Amino acid sequence: MTGSAPELTADSAGATEGGDPVPAPAPAAETPVNGRQRIADLEQEGEIAADYLEALLDIVDMDGDLDLDVEGERAVVAVVGEGLELLVGARGETLEALQELTRLAVLQKTGVRSRLMLDVGGHRARRRAELRELATAVAARVRAGGQPEKLKPMTPFERKVVHDLIATLDGVASESEGEDPQRRVVILPAG
Amino acid sequence: MLEAALEHLVRGIVDHPDDVRVDMQSGRRGRTLEVRVHPDDLGKVIGRGGRTARALRTVMAGVGGRGLRVDVVDVDR
Repeated sequence: MTGSAPELTADSAGATEGGDPVPAPAPAAETPVNGRQRIADLEQEGEIAADYLEALLDIVDMDGDLDLDVEGERAVVAVVGEGLELLVGARGETLEALQELTRLAVLQKTGVRSRLMLDVGGHRARRRAELRELATAVAARVRAGGQPEKLKPMTPFERKVVHDLIATLDGVASESEGEDPQRRVVILPAG
Repeated sequence: MLEAALEHLVRGIVDHPDDVRVDMQSGRRGRTLEVRVHPDDLGKVIGRGGRTARALRTVMAGVGGRGLRVDVVDVDR
């Protein structure tokens, strides 16, 4: 896979989405993973994140409700409401930046790196549906034509949505190439 | 309001929240939010490769408009 080594380094050192088909780094060895404890930790992450975000909404005078959840191995925090576009930004870039700061706020309180997922105004859900549709259409073309096809540059979250979808399909595979913010998914024919 | 928002975002990610100060400077080149933190927190606010400072700029530009700049001031003391 193109350029996977530097990305692995970046992933383990930072708090990226793990947007590419690289095995997620194993959880830190010092936390023996007791399932119930793990969920309690993730719930606590969500609460810390919610406090941080609620105070921000208050200051900038935006209305939003906080929905907290745990999905798999990560806390999911959603700011729900209308008029939140400023916190999403073009291509979701403000949302990604806010997620990064929120993860740092959790790290500051817990001492543990967080992989929490933030959504604002339903942006990720909408984007996920669009990307699945796109990837399905491109996969059909690639399978029929036998030629790889490059998608537009995407955020780690967006690339992960595409990789996850492609992994469920026969006859196609996906990889990422290039460096952020130009990193993009290539869909190619496979066995 | 913008000062308070940035101050809140920074206070949440540093070891010395009480040492965080944000001032708005308006000049010919537009508005700049100047952030001052405890010297030990400078690395946290800038982040690896400037990543955290970039995230702060992106969020503040989202909330306050494109022309809004954020400067992390490296105070010599």
